[in-house]
Amino acid sequence: MFKKILFATSATPASDHAARVAFNIARGYDAHLDIFHVLGVPSRGYSQVVVDVKTKERVDVDDEYMSWVKEEVNTYYSKYLENGLKFDINVTVGFPAREILRQAKDTNPDLILLGGTTGDEDESVYKKSVASTTLQKVAKSAKCPVLIVNRPAASFWGGLSNITFGTDFSKSSDKAFDFTIKVAKALDCEVNVFHALDITSVSTGKILSQDDIEQKIREAFRMIRAKYEPALKELKNYSMDVWEGIPYIEIVKYARDNHSDLIVMAHHSKKAKQEDAILGSNVEQVIVRAGCPVISVNR
Amino acid sequence: MHEFLTGICFWIALGVCLIGMLVRFVLYFRGLSWQLDRVAYKAHPIPGMKGAFRSIYKWLLPYGTYGWRTQPFMTAIFFGFHIGAVAVPLFLAGHNLFLESKLGFSLPMLSACVADFLTWMAVISAFFLLLRRIVLPEVRILTTREDYMVLFVSLAPFITGMMARYQVGDYGFWLNMHIFFGELLLIAIPFTKMSHVFLFFASRAQLGMDFGIKRGGMKGTKMAW
Amino acid sequence: MPEGKYCNKKPIETPEEVNFLLSDTSGNTYYEEMKSLDVDSDLMWATIQKTMKSRLKTWLEICAHCGMCADSCFIYLVNKKDPKQVPAYKIQSTLGEIIKKKGKVDNAFMRHAMEVAWSQCTCCNRCGTYCPHGIDTGIMFGYLRGLLYQQGFVPWEMKIGAGMHRAFRAQMDVTNEDFIETFEWMVEEYEDEYPGLTVPVDVENADILYTVNAREVKHYPEDLAEAAILFHVAGENWTVPTEGWEQTSLAMFAGDWAACKMQVESVYDAMERLKPKRMIGTECGHAHRATVIEGPYWAGREDGLPPVESIHYVEWLAEALREGKLKIDPSKRIKEPVTIQDSCNYIRNQGLKNATREIVSHIVEPGYFIEMSPNKEHNYCCGGGGGFNGIGFFRKQRNQALITKRDQILKTGAKLVLAPCHNCWDAIRDLEEEFEIGIRWSFLKPLVIKMLDLPDHMKPEE
Ligand code: HEM
Ligand code: SF4
Ligand code: SF4
Ligand code: SF4
Repeated sequence: MFKKILFATSATPASDHAARVAFNIARGYDAHLDIFHVLGVPSRGYSQVVVDVKTKERVDVDDEYMSWVKEEVNTYYSKYLENGLKFDINVTVGFPAREILRQAKDTNPDLILLGGTTGDEDESVYKKSVASTTLQKVAKSAKCPVLIVNRPAASFWGGLSNITFGTDFSKSSDKAFDFTIKVAKALDCEVNVFHALDITSVSTGKILSQDDIEQKIREAFRMIRAKYEPALKELKNYSMDVWEGIPYIEIVKYARDNHSDLIVMAHHSKKAKQEDAILGSNVEQVIVRAGCPVISVNR
Repeated sequence: MHEFLTGICFWIALGVCLIGMLVRFVLYFRGLSWQLDRVAYKAHPIPGMKGAFRSIYKWLLPYGTYGWRTQPFMTAIFFGFHIGAVAVPLFLAGHNLFLESKLGFSLPMLSACVADFLTWMAVISAFFLLLRRIVLPEVRILTTREDYMVLFVSLAPFITGMMARYQVGDYGFWLNMHIFFGELLLIAIPFTKMSHVFLFFASRAQLGMDFGIKRGGMKGTKMAW
Repeated sequence: MPEGKYCNKKPIETPEEVNFLLSDTSGNTYYEEMKSLDVDSDLMWATIQKTMKSRLKTWLEICAHCGMCADSCFIYLVNKKDPKQVPAYKIQSTLGEIIKKKGKVDNAFMRHAMEVAWSQCTCCNRCGTYCPHGIDTGIMFGYLRGLLYQQGFVPWEMKIGAGMHRAFRAQMDVTNEDFIETFEWMVEEYEDEYPGLTVPVDVENADILYTVNAREVKHYPEDLAEAAILFHVAGENWTVPTEGWEQTSLAMFAGDWAACKMQVESVYDAMERLKPKRMIGTECGHAHRATVIEGPYWAGREDGLPPVESIHYVEWLAEALREGKLKIDPSKRIKEPVTIQDSCNYIRNQGLKNATREIVSHIVEPGYFIEMSPNKEHNYCCGGGGGFNGIGFFRKQRNQALITKRDQILKTGAKLVLAPCHNCWDAIRDLEEEFEIGIRWSFLKPLVIKMLDLPDHMKPEE
């Protein structure tokens, strides 16, 4: 299933729940784990000074410092690294999202694993200048699925049995669906295909009548059937549902009701309007709220 | 004594000043290097000339530049002093009568009261220039002995001239002193900071060419001095 | 110990030497060794006699010591009007002394001169426009830096920076392969959103040859994608060179004139090889200064011009907006108080003030743009110019110098600062980090992209 996993971490308690999942998966699939730490953002023009995300100190980065940080990361995760886990540790300097993507480009992992707060927990001024967060950027541009473990409650990857797949019928949703099916087959789990009808007036521009809503729900059902049912039929268990509401809330609720242990969604590369960008796209809101890990699939 | 000062000494002083400055002027422009100064003087003569002219012209206008406007008091005393320092020696009636007798030509002449006014203005302004040097820390730190000497040498002809004019004490003595200091000033011009009398134009022209050619002039933006 | 292991008169030439110097953390040993570095007075005096011509000599001589330049220098103002920060004093007490003593100065003097040259002047050239005699102290400091560099008295980062240019023809260790690969990677990342987006490499006779700042490749590759997007949307026929793509020059800040020449010649070679109609550089001030304004002279071009017409990014952007190659959706214009940082390097030193103002008129809702005071060619330096940003040794002084810009920005009340210059952008970023005044800052590219009114055929499929 996964042969090569890129785990981007701050190597601080903030990434601990993600780390548990990362090591879990790596062991479970005997995959190679690339533990990747962006130690800080370059600062101060072209000087060698970097603000270390772990210590929050301004440090001069040179080879010596890099190897010291590597050692630190190694120590931090030492209890997971025993017993023949295949891993290596890489440390670099730069903007976290960019460097994670660069590493992914160079190593071609099958999965990128992020802690919800990777690199963002320090209140550096970059937050203001770099418009989107690490998460948004990686999810948007990565070529492989991105697994995000944001809340401690979500730090579980054991016998997966139930996946919620949230769709908006876009092209990238099709990709996400393919991935869902792949995982479901490999792990023999149930898939719930779910669509949330967005009835917030912001997006529809008007208040929908109940008839309209029901009409739209029927249409969505038809779409799901047509698009996904053939593939779903190859699984033992599946279900399909359409709810109305605020999409990200509905997905989270739905996944909880169904006891899903994974949510798969597509990342929209559609450009959000400026006002929406503040709220974040649905997938990001789901990540923040979900009680299970979330995988964002892009292409 | 008077004969000596108005005779050979006058000729020497005037000669040293004019020839000295001519030489310095020529040397200045010959010493410009397009590559070291990083200004392509020769390749773009027209934008260069335009820039040079603007740079000189703007700075000759009282309050004509940002520089002058940000320092209104300094500008007042600078022009107060310089208008006198340039106009009085050149256009004073007495000087021109002397010139007529020596060289056979004369320049337009100032009326006595204008000349008096300019002289007083120059002397008072110079006093403030001096005061400024002593009082303002940012000027004091720059000041060297030469600055006081230069100020003294350029002021001395005025003071002595006024002594003679208002007949304070011995007229003949003050007149001789006046001529002596005037000639000293002429001689000092090529060899001291007084060389700015001519080199001001050279230096301003150079920076003007720089802006006219390289720093925006050829892009169609005139430096807003 | 006259010549140190790290600190010596020899320029850095190879990647190995760069790494060796980098291995001396913060340059601690470097600066220690500098304390016993010999001064080669004969060499210095010989150099002065060869290179100091009438312009500089006259400047030093006719300076009226009038102090009118004092208030024009932001570093003087921001250091509580310390008389030692008066431009004329700074240069007379360093370069002036060296001349007076015919180069016979000692080690302590040279280290002091280094401090003055790199921590008390950003070569912003503002004072030059306020001196009645037209004495440009910034230019003289540039000259002094050259003398100091030759003698090895140069801040650690500057020596490294100049060495990078010698070793990599770029200000950072970015190779030609890295450049092209990163550019292609970035374009690929965005091609879903902008169908048909490409990066044309080494195309001959293109309309535009695009050159960049190596920092973009290394740390902000989005900038490359953004450039590609804007050229693409504007329908430009553009290209990047596989060699000679780096427009900046830390060597210029370092006073390493030989490296300046090497660097700029690599770009000119690209121009001659690919014969584009025009060269356009990224949103960087000193890069433009180095390659377009000063470069021709280092390369010995008598007309003072690069081989092909070369313009700054803001000139292209202004033109593209004017001619309608790029269309702005008026509803997406900036609707919050916004100001712009006028970069000394292309505003004061090349008069491009109208180009940036024209861009502002397209992208900012009328009524929201606030000028700094002073502005345009009279604007103060951001506080980090001339290499100041990068030098760890003088960090305290640099942070002090940022206060001028901080207060200028605060006075405008703007929440967003347009900073179409890498160095200014960095300085403004640092000043936010230092003082937390709650502003954002941005290059123009990302802002313009967000506001574009795309032609229908370019809209991504839903
Ligand atoms: C066309 C002729 C002249 C020009 C363009 C000129 C220009 C200048 C300038 C630009 C300065 C420096 C700024 C300043 O100190 O305010 C200056 C200073 C000075 N000039 Fe002139 N000048 C001229 C003629 C003269 C003459 C004829 C004298 C003397 C009789 C003179 C005496 C001085 C002195 C003493 C200073 C220094 C002032 C100080 O101590 O602050 N200048 N001049
Ligand atoms: S303003 Fe010019 S002449 Fe006056 S002190 Fe400064 S550099 Fe010298
Ligand atoms: S060039 Fe700028 S920083 Fe340097 S002395 Fe002049 S005003 Fe000050
Ligand atoms: S960084 Fe910008 S403002 Fe500062 S000196 Fe350079 S161009 Fe000027």
